[in-house]
Amino acid sequence: MKSVFMYTLSTCPWCKKTKKYFTDHDIPFQYVDYDLATVPEQEKIEQEMKKRSGPLSFPWVLIGDDLVVGWNPAKYDELMGLSKTS
Amino acid sequence: MDVEARKRSLRYFFAKVVEPLGYKFTPDDELADFLLEQESNLEAAHGSPFCPCQGRTQNREENMKIVCPCIPFHRDHFDHMKRCWCGLFVHKDVTEPDRLPQIPYDEFRKAKDAGGSGESR
Repeated sequence: MKSVFMYTLSTCPWCKKTKKYFTDHDIPFQYVDYDLATVPEQEKIEQEMKKRSGPLSFPWVLIGDDLVVGWNPAKYDELMGLSKTS
Repeated sequence: MDVEARKRSLRYFFAKVVEPLGYKFTPDDELADFLLEQESNLEAAHGSPFCPCQGRTQNREENMKIVCPCIPFHRDHFDHMKRCWCGLFVHKDVTEPDRLPQIPYDEFRKAKDAGGSGESR
């Protein structure tokens, strides 16, 4: 199974939906809530996000080596090899 | 702070700002209420009703571009999606906000560049 890592915001409803998607599919994931991180941690995250995708838009989901920015369950399905009906 | 009163104030103020831009509040009342509550809390903690779905940095100028309603700073991108990033506002003709995807900025730029136009950011 591909590894799943995400940067999220504790205030973002789409981030909550994204976490719920992976939880509901029994897919383990790790995440960091950017807004709850320390300033030095935030600066590191900011650099990484800007380098890979531009603005600090959340959720920011890394599935294996593939990056998905935004709530996109169809893309999560595709990258996790799940059918639409699963 | 009375969060419910502040949410009502923000709703009143935002409606006047976004209407001439061609936007309205999402018809998803539960989502709108949640987002307005987050913005009220962010305003109480950080001084402005920042977008709950975009990250603040140590750069004040950048942060001002994500104070709600942030449509004017991201106009082409949001017009392309027919919604703002967090979904609090949608184009006036939208009746089914769930059908509108979040399109990341870099994908939008690629599409616009392929079409020969785009926005500067």
